[in-house]
Amino acid sequence: MSSSNEKDDMSRRSFLASGTGLFTSMWVAAQWPAIAAAAHHADEAASSPTPVGFSFFSPADAADVEAICAQIVPSGATPGAREAHAIYFMDRTLATYFSGAAPEYSKGLGDFQAKFRAAHPQPGSFAAADSDNQIAFLKTADRTPFFETTRMLTILGMFTSPKYSGNYQGAGWKLMGFVDQHAFVPPFGYYDREYTGFVPYGAESSS
Amino acid sequence: MTAKKFKPGEVVDFVVVGSGAAGGVVARELSQAGFSVLVFEQGPRLGAADFEHDEFKYFFLSGITVSPAISPQTFRKTPDSVATQTAGAQPALYARLVGGSSNHYTANFWRFHEIDFNERSVLGAIPGTAFADWPITYQELEPYYTKVEWEVGVSGLAYASPFDPPRTKAYPMPPLPVKSSGVLLERGARKLGLHPFPAPMAIASQPFRGRPSCVHCGFCMGFGCEAQAKSSSLYTMIPEAEATGMCEVRSGSYVYHVDTSPQGRTTGVHYFDAAKRSQFQPARAVVLSANGAETSRLLLNSTSNRFPHGLANSSGMVGKHLMFNQGASVHAVFEHELNEYKSVQVTRILHDFYLSDPKRGFYGGGGIDARMNPQPAIWAMSQGGDLPRWGADYKARLEAFPRSMVSSGHSTSLPLESNSVSIDPKLKDAWGIPAIRVTYKDHPDDLAFARFLQDRSYEIMQAAGAQKVWRDSVEENTAGVHLLGTCRMGNDPKSSVVDKYHRTHDVPNLFICDGSSFVTSGRGQPTMTIQALAFRAADHIGQFARANAI
Repeated sequence: MSSSNEKDDMSRRSFLASGTGLFTSMWVAAQWPAIAAAAHHADEAASSPTPVGFSFFSPADAADVEAICAQIVPSGATPGAREAHAIYFMDRTLATYFSGAAPEYSKGLGDFQAKFRAAHPQPGSFAAADSDNQIAFLKTADRTPFFETTRMLTILGMFTSPKYSGNYQGAGWKLMGFVDQHAFVPPFGYYDREYTGFVPYGAESSS
Repeated sequence: MTAKKFKPGEVVDFVVVGSGAAGGVVARELSQAGFSVLVFEQGPRLGAADFEHDEFKYFFLSGITVSPAISPQTFRKTPDSVATQTAGAQPALYARLVGGSSNHYTANFWRFHEIDFNERSVLGAIPGTAFADWPITYQELEPYYTKVEWEVGVSGLAYASPFDPPRTKAYPMPPLPVKSSGVLLERGARKLGLHPFPAPMAIASQPFRGRPSCVHCGFCMGFGCEAQAKSSSLYTMIPEAEATGMCEVRSGSYVYHVDTSPQGRTTGVHYFDAAKRSQFQPARAVVLSANGAETSRLLLNSTSNRFPHGLANSSGMVGKHLMFNQGASVHAVFEHELNEYKSVQVTRILHDFYLSDPKRGFYGGGGIDARMNPQPAIWAMSQGGDLPRWGADYKARLEAFPRSMVSSGHSTSLPLESNSVSIDPKLKDAWGIPAIRVTYKDHPDDLAFARFLQDRSYEIMQAAGAQKVWRDSVEENTAGVHLLGTCRMGNDPKSSVVDKYHRTHDVPNLFICDGSSFVTSGRGQPTMTIQALAFRAADHIGQFARANAI
């Protein structure tokens, strides 16, 4: 890896890790690499809600990546990344919107798989390993750019609109308690329900 | 009356470049005053039906914002380094469509206070900065703030904050319904002896001038309003300008050069039409309202024999003193559901820390708000402190989304000559026009004050009874959505670009009115002041035109 690539990786990593103030976390941090470059040439098919096989991942790669996603947001009483079909979102977007970042992602995945095989000759693939081994290995790899990107794509695949092939039947939103609705009426939550009105300063009777 | 359509080559009284917060106001005021006005907008014209609840599109695919695919920019921290296209962002981020960034703003509409205009005189010089007074006062601008509130449309509660500047009229609409985040901020802040109050927002809390009231859908910041309740230029100033029959808004038309005569007057603009053909539009006068980054780029790219260093740049100040504002947030989780994904971003704010206090040892002032979480995916990406990043603990954190809120500080940026918008020496956009290069490094005081304000937010959330509070990291800005100060206003042509009436010192029939006119940054919510300045500028420009003094 060249030093300039390292620098790019570092800046992406710090960007992903920053979660900083208003502008970076909410606006700007969101504009991840190469994204928009790919967006302009995006395939309309990317917005089709029904996945038909994989176009970017091989079946084996898809199994490994989905296993990582399923450790990032595990299944359980509420849906996890697997139930939300995050892998289909990742496949679609790496083939279209994020195609500019795809070669680097493939390389990262290859490195991840090679390191896992070296540490675990049996069973040889991350997807086939048991959960404890997967978690133990991820703890050694969860600061790599590959993991950061996988985490980010998992989140996007779980919590953005189902029209991009992830967040299957709103599974991610259900997990998070987010309701996608075009209108709400107050009260919105527990604390505003009992609010009795703004008391002007100088007019407080007590406290 | 149907909107005007000027014939090719027809000379207009005014070309206005940009249709956003400032351009919309200028176009509406000048056309209502009887002048012919042609507004250029590089982006498309969209309407309420085109906007979507689509976080991926708007935050990750440059849905309505300036796209690096066609309008790339570069960034560097200091003038001695080489700027590069950054992995994460467009450093000068704005919305590129009719109505500009007023489509996707959060709609926090704070007036500046008196101190914002004369703070240099009150506090004295700050070495190493271009900290200066404005050439106008709050009192001069007050009638125009009132005009914004009543004609653009702002909801709020007058006289609610003991720190508010004087006003001549109450708000035209009551505040929006308080959210749980607002109740909690109010609870915590009052316990600490602070003075929270209903946030003034440019969102209709009741039907207003033909627009419906907010439906509380929760997609304000970063999104176009699907209900037409947000008081964006798209729904307010632009249609009113067109209704005069004197104004055409030409979308998909990208102005890349302001032309001047050998006598040093502007004659009109060159632009690319939707088919990328270069066209010339003659005008008696030109007003630039293209935002604090694009206005500077346009001037710096408009070189000629007479103006070899860019137009209106005899001072060398075009593009200098870029200010993004600073600020930092805390996150808090409470026992019960807040459901902050519903309704507007902010319902309570406080201005107890508006004034800079020399006893702190650093300059800075600002406000604190209670605000909703970001949209689900961006919220899920946020990390920091000891927050789990994956696994079962991470999932548990995600499940706390409905019980979570944010409290943010919004604060000052000092004007530094080294922070700038300039022309990248190599990079060009999709039309072959040299691209924006942003150079930016926060003054240490700006970071120190952002931390100070973040600590106050932390205390307020604790006092409100939060189960857990954590801080975002406070970092140097590498990008901004507030694009301020780059063609600063002043009386001295050697140190400023426009005079107090927004006329460029160098070109008598060229005016600039947008965030670039700011002398200081204010406390983090600039659009209200951008629009008040635009009303005032249009008033004076119209008077000059009628007096044949342009």
